[in-house]
Amino acid sequence: MATTRILEWLGRFYIVLLLAFLYLPIIIMAAMSFNASPFYQLPFEWTTDWYQSLWQNDQLIAATWNSIEIAVITTLISTVLGSMASLALYRYEFRGKRLLQALLFPPIAIPWLITGTAMLIFFFGVGIGRGLIAILLGHVALALPYVIVVVSARLQTFAPELEEAARSLGANQWQVTMRVTLPWIMPGVIAGGLFAFAVSFDQFVVSYFLSTPGQTTLPVEIYAAIRKGFTPEINAVSTIIIAVSMALMLLTARFFKFGGEK
Amino acid sequence: MAGVQVANVSRSFGAHKALDDVSIDFADGGFYALLGPSGSGKTTLLRQIAGFDFPDTGRIAIGGESVERVPVEKRRIGMVFQNYALFPNMSVADNVAFGLSVRGEPKATIATEVQRALDLVQLGKLGGRKPHQLSGGQRQRVALARAIVTKPRVLLLDEPLGALDKALRVDMQIELKRIQREIGITTIFVTHDQEEALTMSDRIGILRDGRLVQEGPPEEIYDRPQSEFAATFLGDANIFRGDATGSGIKLPDGTTIKASTGASVPAGTKASCAVRPERIQISTGAGMPDAGGANVLKGKVSKRIFAGNNSTYFVDRDGQTLKVIVQNTGAERLAEGQPVVLNWSPDSTVLIAG
Amino acid sequence: MADQLAIASRRGLRPALPLLLPAYLWLTVAIFLPLSAMVFFSFMTDLPLAGKEWAFTLGNYAAFFSQSLYSRLLLSSLRLGLEVTLWCIVIGYPAAYVLAKVLKGRSREAIFLLVILPFWSNGLVRIFSWAMVLREGGILDTALNAVLPFKINIDLMYSYPAVIIGLVHSYVPYMVLTCYLTLQAIDDSLIEAGRSLGASRRQVLWRVIIPLSMPGLIAGSALIFVPVVGSFMEQRILGGRTGTFYGTVIEDQFVAVFNWPLGAALSFILLAVVLIILALAAPVLRRAG
Repeated sequence: MATTRILEWLGRFYIVLLLAFLYLPIIIMAAMSFNASPFYQLPFEWTTDWYQSLWQNDQLIAATWNSIEIAVITTLISTVLGSMASLALYRYEFRGKRLLQALLFPPIAIPWLITGTAMLIFFFGVGIGRGLIAILLGHVALALPYVIVVVSARLQTFAPELEEAARSLGANQWQVTMRVTLPWIMPGVIAGGLFAFAVSFDQFVVSYFLSTPGQTTLPVEIYAAIRKGFTPEINAVSTIIIAVSMALMLLTARFFKFGGEK
Repeated sequence: MAGVQVANVSRSFGAHKALDDVSIDFADGGFYALLGPSGSGKTTLLRQIAGFDFPDTGRIAIGGESVERVPVEKRRIGMVFQNYALFPNMSVADNVAFGLSVRGEPKATIATEVQRALDLVQLGKLGGRKPHQLSGGQRQRVALARAIVTKPRVLLLDEPLGALDKALRVDMQIELKRIQREIGITTIFVTHDQEEALTMSDRIGILRDGRLVQEGPPEEIYDRPQSEFAATFLGDANIFRGDATGSGIKLPDGTTIKASTGASVPAGTKASCAVRPERIQISTGAGMPDAGGANVLKGKVSKRIFAGNNSTYFVDRDGQTLKVIVQNTGAERLAEGQPVVLNWSPDSTVLIAG
Repeated sequence: MADQLAIASRRGLRPALPLLLPAYLWLTVAIFLPLSAMVFFSFMTDLPLAGKEWAFTLGNYAAFFSQSLYSRLLLSSLRLGLEVTLWCIVIGYPAAYVLAKVLKGRSREAIFLLVILPFWSNGLVRIFSWAMVLREGGILDTALNAVLPFKINIDLMYSYPAVIIGLVHSYVPYMVLTCYLTLQAIDDSLIEAGRSLGASRRQVLWRVIIPLSMPGLIAGSALIFVPVVGSFMEQRILGGRTGTFYGTVIEDQFVAVFNWPLGAALSFILLAVVLIILALAAPVLRRAG
């Protein structure tokens, strides 16, 4: 039994190492955003100058607003459309249902490089062109499958008898949905919405191909800045982004168990 | 309140005939059990009456009004589901209020009606609880209160007691019966538990493979089953098969069994006889008067199961094992392996067309 | 039985259509039509825009097969995908095992969340954070020189290992997630049964645990391999001059060279490779998912 103990402690130690691997770079990057040296030189000297200079960077601020706007609209559209589709897939049995479910995977599984360039070609061909509208079109499409998968997972725990019970008590389809089904799947809908927001807010590849110099999002703007050379300003904005996206996912985890346990 | 008429209803799912030309008349205010093994179509029939599903052919009427194409929400029925289907996001009172609330009843009316219904099921004080804070029996009562508060024309119960343990089930059977009497509602309930069907209902319909096998009061079905299936599914029965003689049957080995109840079967055709195990007397044969007119068979005890108030004997006779139940009267018990004589009256023997 | 009945009463596409149509119409316009358009474009000589002359051609595909550059880059991208996947297995599987079988209760939930949290945060920013660590005079360099008695120069930045490290960092949470899900589903009594039958720890691992967690390993591998083969941003930031891969070449066609038809053909070839891999893994993915 002594060996078991030792192995278990080794295992715990290993997890600590893995967490260090996962988080140290992020922590270092964040720390550098508070370091005075523009060339990341040590010793560390505390400053918030880089955050203040972000406020002067109109281009970055404009891109941030674009990102937030697109993420909010993407969330609203994909949550509503995705929840509707999930309900239909849950409630009804019809030919081709499996195909419709399978069609949700290409947007998730195909590399964004391919989807992004394909969107670029198509939107150009039909006259939508590049810009915020194109980005929004693409983001909703990328977020929809996540919403449908998350809401459907929640619906799996919903007993169909509840809808039947409501109908037997005289409720019409609308009353059944609003008063019985929706309250039950609400945690799934909220989790799906948060996913959609994260997918859109963090999206780089697809936005990158669909943006134009004036109409761009924050990650695209950061990428351009990185390729010009590193500055602590990029660290500052990156720190903000990562804090926001991690906070979002923690919030999502409250509503939706990733592990699917119990 | 209203009676329910089901006439020539058929329903198929693909190649599977779930209901095959079923007709039953459920009289106003009666308590009916639909009994059958799983897959017999009893739940399908209940769902047709409820309106969750529509028949392919046939008529369903509630209170004389044709409803076979009316969806469930417009049929004014009350239904209790096997797993109760209480809305988990609502309190007990909100669950019960749901049906009144979707109809747009005024709040004050809803409140008094809900309280009355909860009082009726003796849960008057638990209105504020959530379903998950209730015991199984309490949930059952809430489901019942929710189903009757809207004053439905008919109450449908889908294996309502199936999820309860034995002791609670007996309590709920009595309770359910009390409430049904009190409001006098036509009640149809589906069960696979024959004891439940026998003790609770005024009439029983037995279904098998989508067909109605027999319908009538429990005593009638038990005493005069019209098929081997009805005889063995509702209670226990010993079945003898042979050729009809006009007053009974003749077994392949030449023994005759006299039967004076059941169908009249023309002599010479295939027929069977059913005898309930508790109607047979078993003895060593010594000192027994020659029972004139009784059916007599000889056999050997192969097994005895003692169950306190009674004993069950399994008696081997010419390749067939017969079952005999004897009340524990303190009389001498028979040992396994002992040769015995069985006798029973032709009045206890039901003739069934083969 | 009851479920069948419930479903039978809700047969038919018609009532489902109004609920399904908006979402699937959107997916069609923004995903499926673009993918089809890409195939179409890949057979063109030039963009049919602004009155330019164009014709159908197989030239874009011929370019892929005649110029060894493209196929060599595809191969090196496939190799990159394989290496990253292997590292993710080596690093991620033991972690998934510890999470599923050693840690219990709340600490397990919390650590599990911590491990997969970075996966859902901004990938671009995380790659950028490695640039902070790996560059010359960066943290790794400084830290090692502070500890070691002799002077060494660590400059992993703009190298193949830097790309590998960045990609493994990006995708290892995926492997932990999929393996954790299958490992967690393995009943502990199976492991105890194996031990009670006289198997050593190692034998139980190889003959019970690993075979049973295979679906998780395969699902994780497919879900890592595919995006890595199609990656380009990671190579651009961490790979520098050595960072030319199949993905970066496609990117170039669209944002630098503006040879969209060639880019479309290259994309489509990548799509074909990806679809083959996903199809091979599909039975496992379906069971796992």
